[in-house]
Amino acid sequence: MKTCETPMIEIRNLHKTFGKNEVLRGIDLTVCPGEVVVIIGPSGSGKSTALRCINRLEEITSGKVIVDGHDLYDPATDINYVRTEAGMVFQQFNLFPHMCVLDNVTLGPIRVRRTPRAEADRLGLALLEKVGLADKAAAYPDQLSGGQKQRVAIARSLAMQPKVLLFDEPTSALDPELVGEVLEVMRALALEGMTMVIVTHEMGFAREVADRVIFIDQGRIQEQGPPDEFFSAPKNPRLREFLGRVRHA
Amino acid sequence: MALDFQASVMWESVPLLLGGVHLTIIITLGGLAIGFVLGTATGLAKTARGRLPRAVADIYVEAIRGTPLIVQVMFLYFGVPLATGMRIPPVTAGIIAIAVNSGAYIAEIVRGAIESIDVGQSEAGRSIGLTRMQTMLYVVWPQAFRRMIPPLGNQFIISLKDTSLLVVIGVGELTRQGQEIIAVNFRAFEVWLTVAVMYLVMTLSIARVLRVYERRLNARFGR
Repeated sequence: MKTCETPMIEIRNLHKTFGKNEVLRGIDLTVCPGEVVVIIGPSGSGKSTALRCINRLEEITSGKVIVDGHDLYDPATDINYVRTEAGMVFQQFNLFPHMCVLDNVTLGPIRVRRTPRAEADRLGLALLEKVGLADKAAAYPDQLSGGQKQRVAIARSLAMQPKVLLFDEPTSALDPELVGEVLEVMRALALEGMTMVIVTHEMGFAREVADRVIFIDQGRIQEQGPPDEFFSAPKNPRLREFLGRVRHA
Repeated sequence: MALDFQASVMWESVPLLLGGVHLTIIITLGGLAIGFVLGTATGLAKTARGRLPRAVADIYVEAIRGTPLIVQVMFLYFGVPLATGMRIPPVTAGIIAIAVNSGAYIAEIVRGAIESIDVGQSEAGRSIGLTRMQTMLYVVWPQAFRRMIPPLGNQFIISLKDTSLLVVIGVGELTRQGQEIIAVNFRAFEVWLTVAVMYLVMTLSIARVLRVYERRLNARFGR
């Protein structure tokens, strides 16, 4: 586990209720710059909701979420600006189907950062190159495989040069043979020192890439630690049960 | 009694009826252009976060959908001037009536199309830092607009036919021209048949133009 003086993400006593359903019951989490945190947990545990709060895609009931010094839920915060600092990669990719791949990547730079188109295109092509899809720049999302779509989505997030990347089950909608290419891109980002928070069911990936693994269940962090300890000697009985189920799946 | 059909009556009525067609087209285009702006604004208001714009939009749509167009037209032309002291020329009243009426239905089309776009699209737009307005403009609207075209085509056709109701305020559009010709020659069969064919040509044209436009949009979007 990394320690740091100025955390990249700080979540304090986060509560979130949907109607009568209390999804998050007090989450505390600090993520250091360059740290890769993997969140696991059964479905309905609140792990995706917690992740979405880091980009204010959810309104919260109480608590604090601070990203790179910006208090996300402070009305005085320019949420549009802070969102450019934390990129989000979705399970369903959410590429813009009416734009070609390159335009998907350059929309943010051009409209938010006011980057001139020629420069944005250069940046966009470089990012597509990085995720191995430079040859697909002119293609439309419908013409891509799921794995390619997700790599474009990662490039689109990177185009805003975020300080944090959030991944919401990035490989869960993919055919098994396409999972590898997406994980490979994520692994490369981790090696470059990108701060990442990843909700996933890929235990092998978590073990290999994560600095810290977190188990969320019933709206609370039940256990966390470096992957070796976490997977080989889980203390929490619910985690043990969960890992047992996942391994035999 | 057998009908003494005279094709020549049809041909002879064409020039006068074309004058009516001209006015029908002007009122339809003018009314729909304003109606589209009105409907888009109202449809967006219906998807707004604030309660006030939603309430205003709801009242407008319900009031228009819940009353007959012919009553709206007569209220606007005969009723409103009594309150304002300002007479509205018949053609202007016709354009306003079609605009306000179609606007309410177009609002529902716009709202439905916008709500049919997956919420993930907005979330993706917001995640890269676009404002709510930019997300609507660059991400949601282009996709929603494509879905609006078929129902909009329907509404355009309905509004075009609705202009015939403007006979009640004496607008010299196609139906009125037909009535006037019949008042002189009593050839109801030939003249109404001609009028019907002219409406049909116009509505089929709208359908065709929109189909071509839709196909072009789809081709541009790579599907």
